[in-house]
Amino acid sequence: MVIPRIGVDAEIVAVATDDDGALEVPPLEHPEVAGWYRPGPAPGQAGNAVLVGHVDSTRGPAVFFDLGRLRPGDTVRVVRADGRTVAFTVDGVGAYPKARFPTERVYGGGAAARLRLITCGGRFDPRTGSYPDNIVVFATAAG
Amino acid sequence: MKAQSILGSAAVGVGLGALLLPAAALADTRVSPATTPVGGTVVLTSTCNPKAGDAIFRVTGPDRDQNVRSTTAAAGGGLSAELFTAGFTLGTYTVATTCGDGSDGGSATFTVTPIGGAQAGAGGRDGDTGVLVAGGALAAGAVAGGAYVLVRRRRRAGVTA
Repeated sequence: MVIPRIGVDAEIVAVATDDDGALEVPPLEHPEVAGWYRPGPAPGQAGNAVLVGHVDSTRGPAVFFDLGRLRPGDTVRVVRADGRTVAFTVDGVGAYPKARFPTERVYGGGAAARLRLITCGGRFDPRTGSYPDNIVVFATAAG
Repeated sequence: MKAQSILGSAAVGVGLGALLLPAAALADTRVSPATTPVGGTVVLTSTCNPKAGDAIFRVTGPDRDQNVRSTTAAAGGGLSAELFTAGFTLGTYTVATTCGDGSDGGSATFTVTPIGGAQAGAGGRDGDTGVLVAGGALAAGAVAGGAYVLVRRRRRAGVTA
């Protein structure tokens, strides 16, 4: 996937959920990789395709470190396994406490091909070892 | 015209009882919410005529084919049942309803999703406040990258000085 505005050019691996039912993320050993939520639509298919990536690892910034800088009108391109490239236009960016994650807006269906990009946000809490928020980018297939 | 009129009346549940067997084909099924984290409960509702008997909601999806019998009369008319999604495989499920009289009660879909958000960060290198500052800035949707670059440059300057 390529996000020109923030300099992202990343490989994508498939993810699903962990044992607790939470969305899996790519292994921290490969913070430069984004994950595609395989149980959902593929990018370009009808519905919401979901990609997740780390904001950082223990070594520094990760693939979606600058996700919060995206703005409406920015472009996200995803190259599918079949070689087809799907371009998406950013509709908006939001920050949500994980306890109030917008499940319907992220995973909800519909006829349009949409894309959701997810990473962590907020101030890292070293006691819990996690961030309190998720940053979500909402985008729709262009053209 | 007369037949259409009868069907239309039946579709809105005017209560013509057993005379409305053909009308049951116009019954509708809804699922609320249409998206639920795995383990959540969805309510299946059909406008089937309760007087015709229990409705059967057939739930099919990625690894499931089960029948759920209606348990209650829905507040706005029709029949409903609750479905607990613990153990469901993630994905989209179809609910096809058969009314108590055997007629088609319509269909709807719902999607079972992961729970909550994503744990997509590790806090950066130990003691690297640059990442911590940037993380906070990200939540505000602000210039996180700029903040990080700024701090990193300062760190580098400190190292080289």
